[in-house]
Amino acid sequence: LVSCFTVGQHNGLQHLRCDLHRLDEGPSVQTVLTREDGLRYYRTMQTMRRMELKADQLYKQKIIRGFCHLYDGQEACAVGIEAGISPTDHLITAYRSHGYTYTRGVSVKEIMAELTGRSGGVAKGKGGSMHMYAKNFYGGNGIVGAQVPLGAGVALACQYQGKNEVCVTLYGDGAANQGQIFESFNMAALWKLPCIFICENNKYGMGTSVERASASTDYYKRGDYIPGLRVDGMDVLSVREATRFAADYCRSGKGPILMELQTYRYHGHSMSDPGVSYRTREEIQEIRSKSDPITMLKDCMISRNMASLEEIKDIDATVRKEIEEAAQFATSDPEPPLEDLCKHIFYNDAPLEVRGTHPWMRLKSIS
Amino acid sequence: MLLDVMCMYLKWTVVCPAGAAPLKVQMPALSPTMEEGNIVKWLKKEGDEVAAGDTLCEIETDKAVVVLESSEDGILAKILVQEGSRGVRLGTLIALMVSEGEDWKQVEIPAPEPITPTAAPPTAAGPAPPLTTTPSAPKQSTLLSPLRLSPAARHILDTHGLDPHLAKATGPRGLITKEDALKLLNQRDERRPAPPAAAVTSPAPVTVSAPIAPSTGRPTFPPLSVPGKPGMPGTFTEIPASNVRRVIAQRLTQSKSTIPHAYASVDCDLGPVMKLRKQLATEDIKVSVNDFIIKAAAVSLREMPEVNVMWSGDGPQALDYINISIAVATPRGLITPIIKDAASKGLQEIAATAKALAKKARDGKLLPEEYQGGSFSISNLGMFGISEFSAVINPPQACILAVGGTRAELRMAPHNPDGPVLHTQQLMTVTLSSDGRLVDDELASRFLEKFRTNLEQPQRASL
Repeated sequence: LVSCFTVGQHNGLQHLRCDLHRLDEGPSVQTVLTREDGLRYYRTMQTMRRMELKADQLYKQKIIRGFCHLYDGQEACAVGIEAGISPTDHLITAYRSHGYTYTRGVSVKEIMAELTGRSGGVAKGKGGSMHMYAKNFYGGNGIVGAQVPLGAGVALACQYQGKNEVCVTLYGDGAANQGQIFESFNMAALWKLPCIFICENNKYGMGTSVERASASTDYYKRGDYIPGLRVDGMDVLSVREATRFAADYCRSGKGPILMELQTYRYHGHSMSDPGVSYRTREEIQEIRSKSDPITMLKDCMISRNMASLEEIKDIDATVRKEIEEAAQFATSDPEPPLEDLCKHIFYNDAPLEVRGTHPWMRLKSIS
Repeated sequence: MLLDVMCMYLKWTVVCPAGAAPLKVQMPALSPTMEEGNIVKWLKKEGDEVAAGDTLCEIETDKAVVVLESSEDGILAKILVQEGSRGVRLGTLIALMVSEGEDWKQVEIPAPEPITPTAAPPTAAGPAPPLTTTPSAPKQSTLLSPLRLSPAARHILDTHGLDPHLAKATGPRGLITKEDALKLLNQRDERRPAPPAAAVTSPAPVTVSAPIAPSTGRPTFPPLSVPGKPGMPGTFTEIPASNVRRVIAQRLTQSKSTIPHAYASVDCDLGPVMKLRKQLATEDIKVSVNDFIIKAAAVSLREMPEVNVMWSGDGPQALDYINISIAVATPRGLITPIIKDAASKGLQEIAATAKALAKKARDGKLLPEEYQGGSFSISNLGMFGISEFSAVINPPQACILAVGGTRAELRMAPHNPDGPVLHTQQLMTVTLSSDGRLVDDELASRFLEKFRTNLEQPQRASL
């Protein structure tokens, strides 16, 4: 088995090339993939994929209720971004956030318990799908496009604190037409904030395709005065290289940068969307067969003799077991008790009484 | 059908030891309000390869027919619930898949577990059918430490001073539902008047589906009545519709809403018919008034072929046969067996055929060609005391004759040479409902006139 391999253009692989906007040179077209990195990425992506499929199953058994926006198909984005930044950098995203919650360090058990609303969840069962947080991970935001100004704010804090950290702010192709995003671009560019704006273009808003939603579908150019690059979001190595490049750019004080990741989601927008009313099943199947991120990485590693099929199968089996256990935990954990309803409203405050649904109901709030 | 599935389900208690670990396919909730669904069609056969995203089967939810997609790659190993199954509850195992490379024929079929859809906390999810009323031993419900009551249940228990711990929780994750609270209330009422008798867990239609239904059923609102106590205040009773009734309902609705019905009534004097009938009876020939009516209608149709038509989609299509459908009431619903070629049959033959067909209909032994393909229907409610009524046309026929009962009326006899005299007449009202597109009011009235003539002068039938 080979321990590392250089993937790049001279091997005939075009996929590392990016489209550039206001940039003279882009990320390097060659990168080195080591065996342990490859297996780690594979394992992470497989875990995310199985976790989302398990969430789908649990939702259909009515064990998870409410909102559930699944991330399968887009795993390469989360894993690639995480590989390009460090754990001390910050990340904020929208509601399709289970994958990022995982890559930012939350265990699958806690994520699934949060989805089922149990006390073992990362937000103590009180947040649900769209409100999961971790260290340097700011969620999990329900309102479309609301996280972008927040992300710019986090970048301002990074600049202020001078610790050479960057903030990665993600939004989708549907949110890209929102006004506050352009306001954030303006302020970030004006004050040269270390903010990486990333547009995850999965080709459909809820059900509206990008051609029907945007006058300009070149989302990487939408920053106008902010330089941008467009990356194939189904290839984890491209995403990693592009993120490294973007992080270096920001850390060097040149200001914000915009990245468009072209990716695809297999499920519908959320669990109440079958996903086939605005696109054909053939399209989904085609992407699954030709550009599935996990399959591409697997083929890449096996064809270059960096991993054997048995190892991959072992990883698959281990991941499957891990997810089953997590699902088991998530279904059997107790719900948070009713007394916890108003706790943690404020941070580090003295205990206070909160009014309930009528004036005579008093609930305790303990920070 | 449900019984068949139940038998199939219970047979598999033997687990193949060296089998492939199966991937379970459970009944999903494909819409937020879905509790159970029907499997319409399996789109893959056992042994077929399935890729993630492929459609496995069509499931009819409470709203529409939706496909179930597979999220796994593999081979469909075993279909556990066949297509056409109705009322499959959420979470039931409907199929098994194995991963690629494994022998799908050796798939381990899990023993049918006592119906918990998932590994929910073991509250009231025992295999006991959910709606048993056992006043003898109110089981201490195995709840987790916090007692979970729905607000309605809490209100009921508080109002009647009942101990919530005695209620058996059947809601999700140990919730005591309004239904459970009502049940507890009933138990208390039952225990007061009579000493605890062994409860008759009546095999209501609901318990037949118990192996398929998990006992953690969601409460329906308003709550279902307890079998054996229908009509409790605040509950509703569901009478499951037989297939026949469902089809009848559908056809009647289709007929009434798409066919423009036109009605025309006429009174017929049954005097001559009654006289002839009595005369034939003395000769031991038994014919009923209905047979005369059938013959008169058939003869009228022969004389007026423009009424013997059917709707062909955009216009009348003349029929070359005169088949009269007679409506027979059976316990399963109304069915219309056909007397073929009624115009050329004699009265006796019509009588015999009608009797035989009615018997077959009541036994449920009619063949499809015996009730499909009539050209005209007759429905007689006279024996129930109905004086007149109007019937719904059986598509694609053009008319249906609704026959009422005979009544004696004093009428003026206008053509008496000695002047108008009152005499008693045996009158019968018939109402013709006709498809206004094919048989309009004018045609209908002419037909009815002819029918009346044929009925009032039964000797014309031999013409």
